[in-house]
Amino acid sequence: MSSQGVAGDWATRVNTSVPNPARIYDFLLGGKDNYPADREVAEQLLALAPVARAVVHDNRAFLRRAVRFLTQEAGIRQFIDLGSGLPTQGNVHEVAQAVAPDARVVYVDNDAMVVTHSRALLAGDNTLAVEADLRAPDLIVGNLEVRELVDFDQPIALLLVAILHFIPDEDDPLGIVRRFRDALPSGSYLALSHGTRDVPVRPDMSAEAMAEMGAKVERLYQQTTAWIVTRTRGQVERFFDGFDLVDPGLVEIQRWRPDDRHTMLPGGFYGGIGRKR
Amino acid sequence: MADYLPTRLRGVDMTELPPERGGGPTVRRMLVGAHLRRLRTDRGLTREQAAAAIRASGWKIHRLENGQVGFKERDVVDLLALYGVGDPREVAAFLVLAREANAPGWWHHFGDLLPPWFRAYVDLESAASLIRTYEGQFVPGLLQTEGYVRAVVGGALGVAEAERRVALRLGRQGVLGRAGAPRLWAVVDEAALRRPVGGRAVMRGQLARLVEACGWPGVTLQVLPLAVGAHPAMVGAFSVLRFADQALPDVVYVEHLTNAAYLDRREEVEQYLDVMEQLCAGAEPPDKTVEFLDKLLSEL
Repeated sequence: MSSQGVAGDWATRVNTSVPNPARIYDFLLGGKDNYPADREVAEQLLALAPVARAVVHDNRAFLRRAVRFLTQEAGIRQFIDLGSGLPTQGNVHEVAQAVAPDARVVYVDNDAMVVTHSRALLAGDNTLAVEADLRAPDLIVGNLEVRELVDFDQPIALLLVAILHFIPDEDDPLGIVRRFRDALPSGSYLALSHGTRDVPVRPDMSAEAMAEMGAKVERLYQQTTAWIVTRTRGQVERFFDGFDLVDPGLVEIQRWRPDDRHTMLPGGFYGGIGRKR
Repeated sequence: MADYLPTRLRGVDMTELPPERGGGPTVRRMLVGAHLRRLRTDRGLTREQAAAAIRASGWKIHRLENGQVGFKERDVVDLLALYGVGDPREVAAFLVLAREANAPGWWHHFGDLLPPWFRAYVDLESAASLIRTYEGQFVPGLLQTEGYVRAVVGGALGVAEAERRVALRLGRQGVLGRAGAPRLWAVVDEAALRRPVGGRAVMRGQLARLVEACGWPGVTLQVLPLAVGAHPAMVGAFSVLRFADQALPDVVYVEHLTNAAYLDRREEVEQYLDVMEQLCAGAEPPDKTVEFLDKLLSEL
């Protein structure tokens, strides 16, 4: 197709030859927007942790249950989905608008391909896709388009689902969440899930083996455009400073208000929802 | 786009690529399957009714129509009979396709027009869940006005043939209106929007139609401005069809002056998809399209 000379710097915005977490996640969910470099890492991940595919499905299921809870029980009508990833089945606005057709959703991601897909496939009257990095909270809460769709005087649900484990401590993830929190009115919510190596993902697995698996996964992701850092329960809980966790608190995502009894073995990710005081 | 496809299979210049391991759906199977589906639904038959004719289950029909299993000659003959396809030449040609459908990697060069019974691209298009297309010279076929189609089709063809093509092209557009319609995500070069196909009035109508289409729920339109300079798809237009079924591969469709190619080998498809991603990321975002079209209209 394109020769180097013609393509010029076109490939710099969307580079399919470097493994990308959003596309690895897409592959694990059974999507078709992934490339050999992504699949190579995903296959290595599955070899290390065969449960990974189940865990990402569990994470999507957690997101659906969280959005349904926020819309139905907490009465939330505004969502900001940070690190939203490639569009898939059961996107946030679809779940929310099934309950409340007037629900508004902002999808934020720093990946050009993700935002391009989101603008094309998700954006509409009550949805918006924004290219921004969650490490710059002020640029997101101050974004004029965001402000046009979202009323910061009304409760907002902030979704940080399977994204903060891509933010290393030196980028001050606690400070980032705090700045978002301070921009939200009281009665707003934070829904969050986060990779952990606390909980063995197999019954026959020791804590040491799980910790070792976690370390290997972290190393594997060092080939990708975003490194992973797993955190302990105590570390994840601190993201909820200033929020009151709703039942059942911060738990393995599979245990968070499961809608059937046949859930997978819990583990891999912590999840919880908190209400801002 | 392909309102027409091969009629003749003898003497075609066909490059066979080595079969991939494990089989699975191929474009040819999908084309044959999609056509069988259309014949069945045109007759108003359920999968179960069709299944009874070949002593099978509705699930088997589902898999046949998705191109997930190979075709047995006897089954195809029985189904065609049930669907009222009686012309022996039609049946024979269909059987050739069905027989060849088991080898993956299709790259056919066809010099002929599509026979009325085999509107392959149209069938595939209507079975797709997402159609991504880049057009450098034309407004995408699914969004063309009648005047624009006439201007494109007219000329060298006889009146009857031209009318047939216009009808086919406009008929194709029905796919966007129906329930479960595929989503269309198109990138159109500014050059195609500036070329006054059919003259000023026709082009104004066409641009107005595009403005309207931007408001349709299943349509996303992005403009690739001339100002971007050289870009990765200057070689020409192509489409990538995606199907809801996880087992079905994406299919790339490329049309040339005298032939068309369907690509289903993953490595090739991914090169096209990669270029499509770059075009979509480099083009104006969809929410700027109406503004862009309004500006063109004001200058026309």
